Amino acid sequence: MKARVAVLVFPGTNSEMETRDLLVDCGADARIVHWSEAASLQYYDAFVLPGGFAYEDRIRAGAIAAHDAMLDAVIEGAQAGKYVLGICNGAQILLEAGLAPGTGEVRRPTAAFTHNAQGHFICERVLLRRTVAATRCAIAAALPEDVLIPAWAAHGQGRLAAVPSHLEEIDNGDFIVFRYADVAGATDAHFAPQGSALGAAALTNREGNVLAIMPHPERDAWNFNHLDRSEGDDPLAPSGGSVLFESFVTALERR
Amino acid sequence: MRNSSSNCRRGPSLPDLAVAELDDEALRAQADSLGLALRVDELRSIAERLGRAPSLVELYAFDAQWSEHCSYKSSRALLGRLPTDGPDVVLGPAEDAGILHLGEHEGERYGIVIAHESHNHPSQVVPFEGAATGIGGIVRDVLCMGAEVVAVADPLRFGNVERVNEHQRAVARGVVDGIAAYGNAIGVPNIAGDCYFDGDFDDNVLVNVVALGLVKESEIVHSRVPRQGADFVLLLVGKATDASGFGGASFSSVALDAQEAQSNKGAVQVPDPFLKNVIMRASYRVFSLLRERGVEVGFKDLGAGGIMGCSAELCSAGGFGAEVDLDTVNVAVDRLLPEVIAVGETQERLLWALPEDIVDEVERIYNEEFSLPQVAQNARAVRIGRATAEQHYRLRHRGELVMDVPIDFLTGTVRDTLPAEAPVPPTMRRERDVLSERTLDDLFHEILAHRDVCSRAPLYRHYDAVVRGRTVIPRGEADAGVLAPIRGSRLAFALSVAGNPRIGRIDPQRAAELAVYESARKVVAVGGEPIGLTDCLNYGSPRDPRQYGELVAGVDGLARAARGFGLAYVSGNVSLYNAAANGHAVPASPIVACVGRIADLSRCVTLPLKEVGSHLYLIGETQRALGGSVLASILGLADEAAPEIDMERAVAEHRFILAAAREGLLRSAHAISDGGLLVTLAEMSFGCVAARRAPIGIELDGSVGWSSVGRNESLFGEWGGVVVEVAPGDIERFEALAESLESVREIGTTTAEPLLSFEDEAWEIADLQRSWSRPLEELFL
Amino acid sequence: MNERAYAVELKIPDNEAYTAMRALQRLGVAVARVQRADILVFEREESDEALSALIERDERLFNPNKHRLERLPGAHPRDGEVWVEMLDAARSAPMRRLVGWRLFDHAGNPLGGADLDAACTRLLCNPAIERAIR
Repeated sequence: MKARVAVLVFPGTNSEMETRDLLVDCGADARIVHWSEAASLQYYDAFVLPGGFAYEDRIRAGAIAAHDAMLDAVIEGAQAGKYVLGICNGAQILLEAGLAPGTGEVRRPTAAFTHNAQGHFICERVLLRRTVAATRCAIAAALPEDVLIPAWAAHGQGRLAAVPSHLEEIDNGDFIVFRYADVAGATDAHFAPQGSALGAAALTNREGNVLAIMPHPERDAWNFNHLDRSEGDDPLAPSGGSVLFESFVTALERR
Repeated sequence: MRNSSSNCRRGPSLPDLAVAELDDEALRAQADSLGLALRVDELRSIAERLGRAPSLVELYAFDAQWSEHCSYKSSRALLGRLPTDGPDVVLGPAEDAGILHLGEHEGERYGIVIAHESHNHPSQVVPFEGAATGIGGIVRDVLCMGAEVVAVADPLRFGNVERVNEHQRAVARGVVDGIAAYGNAIGVPNIAGDCYFDGDFDDNVLVNVVALGLVKESEIVHSRVPRQGADFVLLLVGKATDASGFGGASFSSVALDAQEAQSNKGAVQVPDPFLKNVIMRASYRVFSLLRERGVEVGFKDLGAGGIMGCSAELCSAGGFGAEVDLDTVNVAVDRLLPEVIAVGETQERLLWALPEDIVDEVERIYNEEFSLPQVAQNARAVRIGRATAEQHYRLRHRGELVMDVPIDFLTGTVRDTLPAEAPVPPTMRRERDVLSERTLDDLFHEILAHRDVCSRAPLYRHYDAVVRGRTVIPRGEADAGVLAPIRGSRLAFALSVAGNPRIGRIDPQRAAELAVYESARKVVAVGGEPIGLTDCLNYGSPRDPRQYGELVAGVDGLARAARGFGLAYVSGNVSLYNAAANGHAVPASPIVACVGRIADLSRCVTLPLKEVGSHLYLIGETQRALGGSVLASILGLADEAAPEIDMERAVAEHRFILAAAREGLLRSAHAISDGGLLVTLAEMSFGCVAARRAPIGIELDGSVGWSSVGRNESLFGEWGGVVVEVAPGDIERFEALAESLESVREIGTTTAEPLLSFEDEAWEIADLQRSWSRPLEELFL
Repeated sequence: MNERAYAVELKIPDNEAYTAMRALQRLGVAVARVQRADILVFEREESDEALSALIERDERLFNPNKHRLERLPGAHPRDGEVWVEMLDAARSAPMRRLVGWRLFDHAGNPLGGADLDAACTRLLCNPAIERAIR
């Protein structure tokens, strides 16, 4: 049976369709679950929090959603070992909910994806490289070794920030699953287009069942998103950024 | 002009306006004190038709409805000259948006809904919110046709943004931030646009916006009460009505001065993209409910004229009258005056006309499932009235009838006949080469760094180009944005915009023709077959015969070029009074958007050169016509003629390019526009770091054969044309396809060495890229 | 040098304050009303008029269509009030920008210490990037 994945929609979410479509194309039974249907979340095997501006980023990006009834189910699921993937605004919510890096208490954040260094929204192509061992994060475990994942940085608040002691813990504890890379695959803090600390693009938790990724691989995930780099003849086939979702679905099937 | 402080009247109600008893002067003074833009003769005709003194609510209603903004009274007769029908037209410019036939997928016919608007005056006054509400308004125009909103684009005209002009810089930044804040939040990708800078826009920036939607042609919702709609319920959806945006319609219809700009901040509405995001998604849910039930309904955006304007037009378009009870409207503050509730332009509102038996379910979707009241205070769906068989428009407030007028009189056509003075464009075509003192190298770098030429990336990187995941070509990677709107289908559309103010200043008619040509050419350059156009006519005052003459010439140019290219306008907008208090108007600015059909998106063509060893071809005929070019503006040549278009040849060239694209013969393509051929080649050579494309060199053929017009006209002229890259193995097929077209010439090859070389010049591509990529960084970063 | 503070508050319904109130109530904080303002703190010698003019010049700081501008009695939070500032806020700007939250209980009094602490630590301030000034 296919893994049942819930794609969560809060008021203000805007990337639910493509996220659902890509999960379906990668072999999951993915469904959009709306905020008025929070009670149904317990029946899903995994959760994906897509991009957007949940609750209009009121107070802080992700802050209100982190306390939403939908997150009760996500937190409970994450603690029981279910896989949770947050993309962009979804990643901001996971940090506010304390699920990633998960070094403090639940709903007591120890880090945040916050305002870009340039002070405004940016939208540009980026490349991501996994900089931890394959076993560190289950969701990213089935990625081809040394693959460069194409994605779009499309956010106003994508800069990882935390107090120095926490940043050190994040770095030393291999919480940074993906860092921004150049075409050659080198990683360096200055490849992060918004000035993210440690060049971090994605964080996991201690257990490795949560992934909070700031850029959007799902927006560069079909051949038609990058005709110059098509793989195979079908322009509608998944490729590029889809590798992360394939890895996510593989992890779910292996459980 | 009123300001916000007059929105709440204290003390006893003012009496009706005793039109018949006042002489012209007194009537004008009274009208002015009420902030009415209606003319004395219009006021008298209202009183005459009603057979009594009009009430204040009625006066404000006519003021909005007969404003230039709503009635197009100065332009409607002219607009009749534009072609509006053709084989791909599903719906012409009769409703909130037009519809073009995109193609079929799995037996369903799909249409592209398109609307094109301006938000010029509001953006001058409060740049951030003015530009944001521009996006908000146009998105509703597309949504209310039953469509999913899939893309937006923004043509922008800013003032002189040199470092000393802090105000112009703040306006430009505010506009870009406003577009980003709104468009990004609602999750609609921004895939096309353009931007020009010119001191003549200092007092009136132009902020146009284009929005596109996708609809199955069998599921179009019209902006009118359907035939069986007598007694249909009018259901208002959205934000609680407040006092913002009172006076908006007439505000957009008068010239601004700086002090007025300050006091007019109250006429600009407050945008709420977050609420809009939820309303859009809730409306998609309503569309599917209506499909299930097979119910025919009416749906319309609240824009100029507010609840009154929208309900009157929705009902009268279906042949009905209307009755609305203003007390049922959800309001943000108590004690709003009836005229404010009736004509105020609070954002984020739409109006449904629904049969009684489905209203409860639709209300439940908005109010409970999508919980509008929790998203914004007192936002909701609420019944406000009905369509009536009787042909009257009636408003009630606190049990009293405050408006009762024949509906056709309110919404009917008002036309002004105005004197026009035809513009006289320059005709100089210099015989000799115009450059004497400047070196080619020096000029080339200056042109690359010119504000109308240099990279727009620092601007458009503020916009989300890829939300929804269906973007095929984002801005900057080709001449037009391309998007694949239908999951599982290879069908795609291309979208481009054009309208060059440097040409507009010297030759209004040619500017319009060239806007059509450029927008079509850009769509063709990505492999899209042009299927339709929209226009936004941005001009000065129709009361100034010279400025009105420019509008007349512009409409004639738009009509002529569209006929030449076999295209129709399905939507458009007129923005007049883009003039300062001293009468100085913006350059004639007809701005055109073109939609192209791409049957198989795998045949799209992008801009960067792909391979070393390719052959470069120029498709198009060089002209001795530097008028309106960047070169002419740098050299201060004001009397040169603008280029002409040989439309028959241009159509043949476009047909050829499309055939070559379909055959897969084009590795890359780029339309020649601002800056001319050399700039076009440089931009192709830069590569695309993020797309993992390195720069590729170009060796231009010395014997290019442009001696007939002079080297600089060839290198920097802006007469049109397209450059394409062809693989060596495809040359035979490519040339065979070109057949009888004489305007296809090989001009060079691509090289591994990153140099652009020509005769004895050889430019490092990295140097060219530096000149081109940086100028706007300091403004928009 | 003495500091002067201004509050820019919405005069149209403040949906962010409303949402914050509902979220705090869900967290069990006994709050009945929430006010939110942008707090601008200057360390400059200019006159009140000059500083107000500076604020009113920027549409993003102050838009008369929807904002109200108030000179605060001091440059510190009042009872029941917390100011939240970004830890890495740019110091070169002409002013400090903070967000002020003012919380009231069901009797209409400023919220007391323990409840205000809870509101800060559980929602209004993320200590990874912000500090709360009481």
